[in-house]
Amino acid sequence: METASKAGPGTLRGWLDEQFGDLLWQLSNFWFGMTLLGIWGFMTLLGVVIDQGKDPASYFDAYPAPLARLVLRLHLDNIYHGTAYVALIGFIIACMTLATFKRVIPARLPPLHPVKIDKVPLNATITLPEDAASVRERVATFFRDKGFLVRKRELGGVEWTFADKHNWARRGVLIAHLGFVIVAIGTTLYWASGYSGETAIVTGTEATIPQNGTRLKLDRFGYEFQPIRTRNGLVYQPIDYVSNLEVAPRGGAFQSRVLRVNEPLDVDGTLYYQSSYGVAVSLALTKNGKPERSSPSAPLKEGEAFPVGATTRVIRYERFVGTIDENGGIGPDPRPNHPGAILAVLDGEQLIGRALVPIGRDLDLGNGFRVAATGFTFFSGIQYRHDPGIPFVALGAFVLLAGLVISFHFLPARLYVRVDGTAGGSQVSLAATTVKGFEIFEEQFAELVEALKQGLGVGPRIEPENTAG
Amino acid sequence: MSLDQEIILVAISAYLIGTLALLNYLLSRSELAKRIGIPCAILGAAAQLYELVYRGTTTHIWPLTNLYGSLTLFAAMSVVIFIAFALRYDLWFMGGFVLALAAGFSAYSLTWDVGYLPAVPALQSYWIKIHVPLVISAYASFLVAFVSSLLYLTKYYGEQALATETVQMQTATAGGPSIGATATPRAIIVGDAPNLERAAAAGNTLALWLATLPTLPKLDIITYRIIAVGLPLLSIGIITGAWWAKEAWGAYWQWDAKETAALVSWVIYLLYLHLHTRNAWRGLRTAWISVFGFLSIVFCYLGVNILISGLHSYKV
Repeated sequence: METASKAGPGTLRGWLDEQFGDLLWQLSNFWFGMTLLGIWGFMTLLGVVIDQGKDPASYFDAYPAPLARLVLRLHLDNIYHGTAYVALIGFIIACMTLATFKRVIPARLPPLHPVKIDKVPLNATITLPEDAASVRERVATFFRDKGFLVRKRELGGVEWTFADKHNWARRGVLIAHLGFVIVAIGTTLYWASGYSGETAIVTGTEATIPQNGTRLKLDRFGYEFQPIRTRNGLVYQPIDYVSNLEVAPRGGAFQSRVLRVNEPLDVDGTLYYQSSYGVAVSLALTKNGKPERSSPSAPLKEGEAFPVGATTRVIRYERFVGTIDENGGIGPDPRPNHPGAILAVLDGEQLIGRALVPIGRDLDLGNGFRVAATGFTFFSGIQYRHDPGIPFVALGAFVLLAGLVISFHFLPARLYVRVDGTAGGSQVSLAATTVKGFEIFEEQFAELVEALKQGLGVGPRIEPENTAG
Repeated sequence: MSLDQEIILVAISAYLIGTLALLNYLLSRSELAKRIGIPCAILGAAAQLYELVYRGTTTHIWPLTNLYGSLTLFAAMSVVIFIAFALRYDLWFMGGFVLALAAGFSAYSLTWDVGYLPAVPALQSYWIKIHVPLVISAYASFLVAFVSSLLYLTKYYGEQALATETVQMQTATAGGPSIGATATPRAIIVGDAPNLERAAAAGNTLALWLATLPTLPKLDIITYRIIAVGLPLLSIGIITGAWWAKEAWGAYWQWDAKETAALVSWVIYLLYLHLHTRNAWRGLRTAWISVFGFLSIVFCYLGVNILISGLHSYKV
C-alpha cells in the first residue's frame, strides 16, 4: 500500500504517519474483519450453549467440576455483558467504519476512468458506415432514452461516454452501514441517560421506583387459566395476567391503571411492563406452641428464607402449589383449589429435607419447632424502562432495511463506450461492469447491445462478442 | 380424523406426488411430469394455507402460536416462494427437492399437533400476525436457496469429476502417466462447458444430466436472487420481533437463545451478501455459505425451540 506522509520521509513524524496509515489499512482489511466476526460468532455461540446468568451452583450441577470452574472463571456465565464481548463489538464497529471509508467507498463509487474494453468479460463492438461524432451523439441519446445517466469525458486523448444505470444505488451498502451507526447512537443514548429495572409488588403493598420516584401500589393481581382437553391430555393454559395498579408520578396523586402483558403503561416517558407474577406465602414459626421471633413478618416470595430460631438452620420457601391432589402430591391445576407451599430446610448450603405443606397446616421441624403456612397472596413482577434512544433505534432499523433493499434489488451497472473513427466509418466499442459481477448482467447486456444495434440501424450480420459465462 | 388433519394429509400426498413428478422432470425433462408436478405443488400449498385459515376461523385462535402451525406455514411458504421463483425464472427442475422437504416438514409438524390451544398472554399481540409470518417466510426463502445451492454444488463437483476424467484420458492418450494423474488445472474444472459437452456427446449419463441444469453462474444468480428476498424478510422479522419484545418484556434484545441464533443466521447471510460481491468468493464458496446458512436456520427454528428453553419456547 502507499501511504502519504505530510512530514516527509526520514523524519520521526513521517515514520509515525506511515505506521499509523499502515495500521488503519490493516484494521480495515476484509479478512481481519472476518476474523473478528468469527471470534464474535464463537463467543455468541458459547452464550447460546451455556445458560446465562445462572446461579454458580447450577453450573456445577450441569457440567463436570473443571468445566464449571472454567465457565465461572472466564465469566462465560455472563458472556454478553462481559468487557471482552462489548469491547469486541466496539472494535468490529470501528473496523467496519474504517473499511467503509478506506475501501468500500472508493470501490463502490469509482471515478470515471478508461478500461481495456476487450478485457472486460461483457463487451461488444459494432461497426457503422457513419462518422464517429454523429454516432457518438446517437449512442449518448440512446442510453439517455433508456434511463442511463450519461457523462462524457476526454481521457488520454480518447472521448469516452460513460452510461450509468441505478448509479444512486451504489450507496445502498453505505446506507445500510449508516443504519448500524444510527442504531448504535440510540443504544448509546440509553446507556448514557436511560435506566431499567424490575420490582415485585405484593398485593396491597406499594413500591417506589428509585430512578424517578414513581409510586406503584398493587390493588389486585388476577390471572386466568383455561383447562383445555388436547390430544396429549388436559392442559391448563394461561390466558391472562393482569395487575390493577394505583400509579402516582413523583409529587402526583394516585390514579388507577390496568397493566397487562403486551400492554405496557407509559408514565412520564417510563414504560412499565407486566413481566412475571408469583405467590407469596405467610409462614409462622413457633417453638413449643409459642411464636418465635425469627418468624417472618411479611409474606415470603419464592426463594426467600428465614432462620429457625437461634439454630444454624433456615427454612426456604421454594414454590407454590395450586392444587394438592388426593394422594398429597402436586396436582396439574395451577389454580389455588387446595393450595400448599413447598418448604425446604437447609443447614448452611446442605439440604436437610423438603416438604409440601398445605395452606392452613403446619410442619413439625423437631426440637419443638413447627412452621405453619397461614395464607398466601399474589405478587406482580413489573419491569420498567426509560429509553430516550427509541426514536434513533427505530430510525436506524428503517435505514438499515432501506440500505439492504437497495443493495439487493437494484443493480448499479456502468457502461464504458468509445466511438472510434475507422476507414469506412466508425466503430462503437462498449463494455459493462456491475457491482455484483458480470453474469448477473449478461442477459441485460445482450438485450442492450441488440437494442443499440437496432437503434443505430445496424443489420443482423454484426454480432456482439459476448464472452461472459 | 378431524377435517384439518385430513387437509394436511391431502397436502402431504400432493407434495409427495409432486416430488416424484418433478424429480422425474429433473432427470428426464418430460413435459408430462412437469404438468403433473406443478398442480400438485399448488394444491399442496393451497391446502396447507387453507388449513391454517380453517383453524383460525373455526377456533378464533391465531394458528401460528405453536410449532405445528408455524411448521405448516413454513412448508406452505417454501412451496409458494418456490412457485413464484419458478414462474419467473423457470426453476421447475428443482421442485422435486423443495416439495420433498415441504412434505417432510409437514409430516413432522403432525407430531406437534396437540389440538387447539389459545395463545399464552405473551403471544396475545398484533405483532404475532406480523413477526411470525415474516420470519417463517424468510426461513422458507432460505430453504429454496438451500436447494439451489445444493444443485450448484452437485453440478460443480459433477463437472469437476468429468474434467478429471477428461484430463486422465488426455494424459493417457498422450503417453504420459495414465492412471491417477493429478494434474487438474483449475481453469478446466470451473464451469468448463466444453468438457461437459464432450462427455455428454460421448453418452456419459452424469454429463447428460448435468447438461440439463443451468450453468453454474446462473445457478449462483438464482441462489443470490432468492437470498435477496429472504435476507430483507429476516431483517424485518428480527426488527419487528425486537419491537414486540420491547412491548412485551421491556427490552429489545435479551440475548435469548432464539434471538441469538437468529442473529447468527442473519450474520451468515449478511456474510453471503458481502462475499458475493467478491469475484473470488462468488460461486462455490457462497454456495457453501448458503448451505451453512440454512443449517443455522434449522438450528434457530427447530433446534432452539425444541432443545433449548427460553423466552421463545412455544413448542405446543
